[in-house]
Amino acid sequence: MSHPARTALAALATATTAALLLAGCSTSSSGSGSAAFTSHPSGTVKAWGFNNTDDVGKARLAYAKKALDGVTVDLDQTGFDAQKFVTRVASGNVPDVVQMDAQLVATYAAKGLITPLDACYKAHGVDPDSTFYTSVRDDVSYDGKIWAVPQFFQPPAILLNMRVLKKAGVSADQIDTSKPDQLVAAATKMYRASGGTPTTLGFDPVASGQPGLWLLAYGGQIIDENGKPTLDDPGNVKGLEVLKRLYDAQGGYAKAKSFSDTFDTFGKDNQFVKDQVGAQVDNQWYLNVLTPYVKQVDLGAVPFRAADGKPITVASGTAFVIPAQAKNKDAACAWALSLDDEKAWDAAEQARLKTLAATPGSINTGLFTGLPKVDQKIHSSYVKSSGNAGFDQAISTYYDIVGSGRSIGTSPAGQQIQTELQNALQSALLGTKTPKAALAAAQKSAMQAYEQVTKDNGK
Amino acid sequence: MSLRMTLRRREALAGYAFISPWIIGFLVFTAGSMIYSLVVSFSRYDLLTGSISPAGAENYAELLQDPKVAQSLGNTLYYAVLAVPLEIIVALALALVLSRAGRAAGFFRTVFYLPKMTPAVATASVFLILLNGNSGAINRFLRLFGIEGPQWLVDPHWVVPSIVIMTLWGVSGTMVIFLAALNTVPRELHEAASVDGAGPVRRFFSITVPMISGAIFFNVVVLTIAAFQVFDQAYLLFWRDQTNASPSSSLFYAVYLFQQAFRQFDFGFASAMAWLLFAIVLVITLIQVKLSNRFVYYEAEARS
Repeated sequence: MSHPARTALAALATATTAALLLAGCSTSSSGSGSAAFTSHPSGTVKAWGFNNTDDVGKARLAYAKKALDGVTVDLDQTGFDAQKFVTRVASGNVPDVVQMDAQLVATYAAKGLITPLDACYKAHGVDPDSTFYTSVRDDVSYDGKIWAVPQFFQPPAILLNMRVLKKAGVSADQIDTSKPDQLVAAATKMYRASGGTPTTLGFDPVASGQPGLWLLAYGGQIIDENGKPTLDDPGNVKGLEVLKRLYDAQGGYAKAKSFSDTFDTFGKDNQFVKDQVGAQVDNQWYLNVLTPYVKQVDLGAVPFRAADGKPITVASGTAFVIPAQAKNKDAACAWALSLDDEKAWDAAEQARLKTLAATPGSINTGLFTGLPKVDQKIHSSYVKSSGNAGFDQAISTYYDIVGSGRSIGTSPAGQQIQTELQNALQSALLGTKTPKAALAAAQKSAMQAYEQVTKDNGK
Repeated sequence: MSLRMTLRRREALAGYAFISPWIIGFLVFTAGSMIYSLVVSFSRYDLLTGSISPAGAENYAELLQDPKVAQSLGNTLYYAVLAVPLEIIVALALALVLSRAGRAAGFFRTVFYLPKMTPAVATASVFLILLNGNSGAINRFLRLFGIEGPQWLVDPHWVVPSIVIMTLWGVSGTMVIFLAALNTVPRELHEAASVDGAGPVRRFFSITVPMISGAIFFNVVVLTIAAFQVFDQAYLLFWRDQTNASPSSSLFYAVYLFQQAFRQFDFGFASAMAWLLFAIVLVITLIQVKLSNRFVYYEAEARS
């Protein structure tokens, strides 16, 4: 390489590096926008959410647009992606309001990336305590503040395949999670296998999908009020033991899990059509998946019951948050709240009714908004008999339990705690550790993660 | 003389001009990013304000304290130890078969290369079905021989081997390099050895392997580096959904690094992780280069 060329290259390298370093540091000047919340917002609100929105979403968007006179909504209709969020924050081009899973809110709050919304609620005269279910509010609360405008609450309950139950001589009331011995016996009675692999699970507990439900139901606790993990809580051990007994009675966790992985959950050959389950823990939306197959299934439902016999449900929905650096927080707040307005939900239900009327054989399974008042109104005014007793019973079961929600708690290390919980679940259910030892090991790792996260946040 | 110099200089400048897109790309997207991440690894990076402040070796000290770093590194090392030799063997075997395919070679070469063109997401979805412990095609095949296959994706002991199998599916890039190398092995050597009574196995180990040792070495180095960076398969199968957790048996180093950066926003820690990996890969590669002097045959050396 000749001298001038080498010098030129070196200069270019230095310049590029310097430029990159400067670019990395320069966003620091972007600062945070005004946090004054009023009831008269103006300007443009840059929103990110409503990916693949349906009739319900469109109707609420239309309502919010109308309600916010003088505010222009610039909507990025893509799904939440943490990487994209980071890029936008780092570049200073931050949206004013972002839709994300409610489970993530505490982590973002703990990092100071989003704005507390107590003042936002106050400015619009909305009381979160009376507007949302307690568990829904708790899912987006952290450190004594509320950080998001939540929407939707999809409670899980136990869907029954009456065909399988009847064939095995099991009655619906025997599927009672508050009576583990009876439950395991019922599951065993319905369980069928061929050559050692399951062909029908008597009771599919969906352990890895619903760990919170199983642990809280037996008096356990996953996260305490300060956000610390409590995986070694004795109640958790009990929940995990029940799960282990259930799986062991049905070919063991590995085989049962591999079997449920093959279910055509969203298709015409789903587990209820094909009698691959006798009973299964399912979220409310799954009823919508089953409606086209109403004639091929014989459905029923019972609540998931806590050890004390009372119904319990653990779920999470999505939520709107306002980034700390948002430029138009005022309009963002007004927009998010108007989407959750009773009238917005009413418009949504009207749109849903129109869609259902245009779809022959459709069933209105209801809307689960996260707002008790709205849910009750929709249930009593719009959810009519489907003409199928089993479906009707399942729909009303979900409405019966929706008020029994419990939050698993919020923590800045929420995601790591969930990972450790999965580790414990796996090693206990596969039998490599006892439930107690598995949870103790998980607690140790979760605590380590929690300490690392809180220390980092303090930096 | 001076005319010649200017000519040479002009030629050199023209050369640099032609490769300037690459140079600029390298400086901005590779060298620049690397230097920046080195800086960040010794800093606290505040995403909210975009500011960085010096943190000394704090992030590196944290690496040593975090058991997940060791665990993910262990998983990755286990993967590399399994994947690299198997990839070499499978790719070489395929290349040997292809090199004898005769007229149909072009067709088969294309077919064998197709997996490499398949998007990782599609491959992962298919393998999710193939690797099902009860009804997956792989276990069904094993059952033909009376073997009860493992619960690949559920049993933590079999998660890494499952991902190795997925990797082997995309081994065709390596195969193509071997195929090219095999074509350079002089036929006379094989003929001479045959005359001396050497069988195909003896000829393979005494002629083919030494003659393509350069390609083997290259593939070992490249595959080792790739193995330490394994991400796609594990991420797609186990970690894609941000609200769902998975057991740590599928936590590879690159996945944990990604989580630290884009889930926890701890860019200092993630950058330190990246540089630790760089150091590990560098050391391993240097050892490989050192060892290669003993085993690799370069044609150029023979001539000199």
